Amino acid sequence: MPRLTEKAWSPYLAGAAIGLLQIPAFLFLGTALGASSSYVTVGATLAEVFDPGVRALRYAAAHLSGAKNWWQVALVAGIALGALLSASLSGARRRGIAPVWQRIAGVGPGGRFAMAFAGGFLMLLGARIADGCTSGHGLSGMAQLAIGSFIAVGAMFAGGIATAMLFRPVR
Amino acid sequence: MSVFSAVLLGLAMGVVFGFLLEKSRVFEPAVIVGQFQLRNFLMLRVFLAGVAAGLVVLAVLTGFGWAKLAPKATLPVADLVGGLVLGAGIALAGACPGTVLVQIGAGYRDAWFTLAGGLLGAVTFIYAEPALAPWLAAGGQGKLTLDVVLGVPFWPLALAVAVPLSLVLWTMERWRPWRTELGDAADGLLPPAAGAASPHAGRALPAE
Repeated sequence: MPRLTEKAWSPYLAGAAIGLLQIPAFLFLGTALGASSSYVTVGATLAEVFDPGVRALRYAAAHLSGAKNWWQVALVAGIALGALLSASLSGARRRGIAPVWQRIAGVGPGGRFAMAFAGGFLMLLGARIADGCTSGHGLSGMAQLAIGSFIAVGAMFAGGIATAMLFRPVR
Repeated sequence: MSVFSAVLLGLAMGVVFGFLLEKSRVFEPAVIVGQFQLRNFLMLRVFLAGVAAGLVVLAVLTGFGWAKLAPKATLPVADLVGGLVLGAGIALAGACPGTVLVQIGAGYRDAWFTLAGGLLGAVTFIYAEPALAPWLAAGGQGKLTLDVVLGVPFWPLALAVAVPLSLVLWTMERWRPWRTELGDAADGLLPPAAGAASPHAGRALPAE
């Protein structure tokens, strides 16, 4: 039995337990696990402060209200809390920037912050174009044998591999 | 379900999700970039185990009529283009939209910039969506799933796919045990592989 104070659990056990989280998602909300549409809900809420007209856009309006949208915002907020709890219990709290970035990209903090911002931008732009991310298309779409998710996951790996090969090797 | 109870349920599920993602180490940038460089396979192990368990869960839930599938529409152009851009973003960020929050919880500073970039990306899409809508919908097939394509019921097919996935995981563990990919700090950062050029290769070593 894995202990809460361990830094790492078997990826098979952790992965399978993540798959079990589909049970409450389907039974209580009639939806699958996902993460990226919460960025639209939060982004549209923030955008409305500067541009009250954003609500007139169909895509923003569809994400601004309703139980499923705010369930997913709560889910991703909970993810940060759960990670904080797990890392605190095992003594694996991180500080600063992962050392791998210096090794593979030779960037300092400023360069890394710019790179992270650009990466985040592309990540969500792509996820919204594809209508899903690693959770919605990856975990949930594959588990439902959805054809569109097979295409999206294949493309995700292709784009990821092509980009990561531009860095120096991680080892 | 009311918004209030949905938020409470989401928080509770999120804490479990985040706890498991942190324990699986799949949020570590070296694990994610290492997977895309085909040098570290922790991400694939977690991902395939999650899919396999999800297949079994959904076979049971739909087989007994307790739940209905909620697949996304098949949009070949959008899935392909969006997937490529998303993959490039994941490699640069060293995170995906869900694991950014794990990085924030664990304490990585740069994850806040990934999150901010992600919010800007989502807002950009909101404003661009009316112009993009025609080609996003190109070739749309509706909610197409493999069981429908093959003309078989979902639940036996889902179980039949879960079996080879489990065999793949078993084979991966035989090929390279997962603990060997963790690294000393449990961040997936491993010493350079034997035979790989060191960062200082070509520089003359001082004589002893």
